[in-house]
Amino acid sequence: MHEAALAENILNIAFDAANQNHAKKIFVVGLTLGELAGVEVEALRLSFDVLKKNSPAEDATLKINRVPCRATCNKCGKTFTLDRYNFFCPECDGILILQSGRELLVDFVDCE
Amino acid sequence: MKNILGANDEIAALNRQMFAQSGVVVMNLLGSPGSGKTTLLEKTLARLADKIKIAVIEGDLFTARDAERIERTGVDVIQINTAGGCHLDAPMIQKACASLNLSETQLLIVENVGNLVCPAEFDIGENFKATVLSITEGDDKPLKYPLIFKESAAVVLNKIDLLEFTNFNLQAAREDLSTLHPTIKIFETSCTRGTGLDAWTDWLLSKAVR
Repeated sequence: MHEAALAENILNIAFDAANQNHAKKIFVVGLTLGELAGVEVEALRLSFDVLKKNSPAEDATLKINRVPCRATCNKCGKTFTLDRYNFFCPECDGILILQSGRELLVDFVDCE
Repeated sequence: MKNILGANDEIAALNRQMFAQSGVVVMNLLGSPGSGKTTLLEKTLARLADKIKIAVIEGDLFTARDAERIERTGVDVIQINTAGGCHLDAPMIQKACASLNLSETQLLIVENVGNLVCPAEFDIGENFKATVLSITEGDDKPLKYPLIFKESAAVVLNKIDLLEFTNFNLQAAREDLSTLHPTIKIFETSCTRGTGLDAWTDWLLSKAVR
C-alpha cells in the first residue's frame, strides 16, 4: 500500500538525476529490491505508471532486480540464501545475520 | 545508487539524534487494525504512568478516537491523521514532536497506523519497534509478513484469552517468530483479563530506564 509513496520517491530521484545531467527525457529507471522488502512489484509498477504522466519520465520503464535474502552465521561465518526466513544456522548453533534482502535502491537512471 | 527511502531516512536520523539529546526512549508500536494496540497502550499507561513520564503520538487514517482514549489516561498525546496514508513517516514524527516537551519525557510511544506491511519499511527514528499480533488474526502471520516481525524487538500475542476458541497454534507461532528473529521477545497478554501485562510493562520499563 505504500508503493505510491515509493514510486513518488523513485520519480523524485530520477528527476534529480535527469536535472543533474541536463536531460529532458527519462527512459529507464533501474531498481534493486530485496526479497524481504515489503514491496508489491505490480502495485509499484502501477503507481509508477500513474505518477509518471506529464513528466520527463512519461515513457520511462522500470527495470527491477530482486535480491534474495542472504545471511551469515555469527558463529561459523558461513553465508546462506534463505527461502523460509529461518535465521538459525543450519550447520551449527549460531544465528544468521541478514546481509542482503532489505534493499530499496535506485541503481541507475537512463536519460538523455 | 540511491536509497528509495533516503529522504525519509535522513529525517529519521535527525529524529533519532533529537531523541538521544532529549534523553527520551521511543517505541514504534505496530500491528493490524483491531489487534488491540490502543487497548494495550491504555493498560500500559495505567501501569507505568506513575513510574515514568510518558508521551504518546497516535497515528490514524482519519479520526481522533484513539487519541481521545489516551487523553483520558492523563498522558500527553498528539494526534497525526495521515488522511488515508497507510503509515507514519519520519517527517510526520518530526512535526508532531515540536508540540511535545521531549526533555521532560522518558518514554515516547508512537502508535502507528494499523497495518502489518508499510510501517515496517519506514524508519521514524525510534529506538525499537514492537508489534501486537492478536490470536484472532491467525498463527500464519509471522511468515506472511516477515519484515515487521524481523524488525521488531518484541511481539505481543494479544487476546490470548481467546486461544481456546480459535485454531491458533501457539507453539507454531512461537517457533515461526523465533526462527525469523531468534532474539525476539514474546509476550502473551489479554488486555480484557489483565493477564501477562506485568511481564510486558516490566520489559518496557527496563528499555525506557537505562
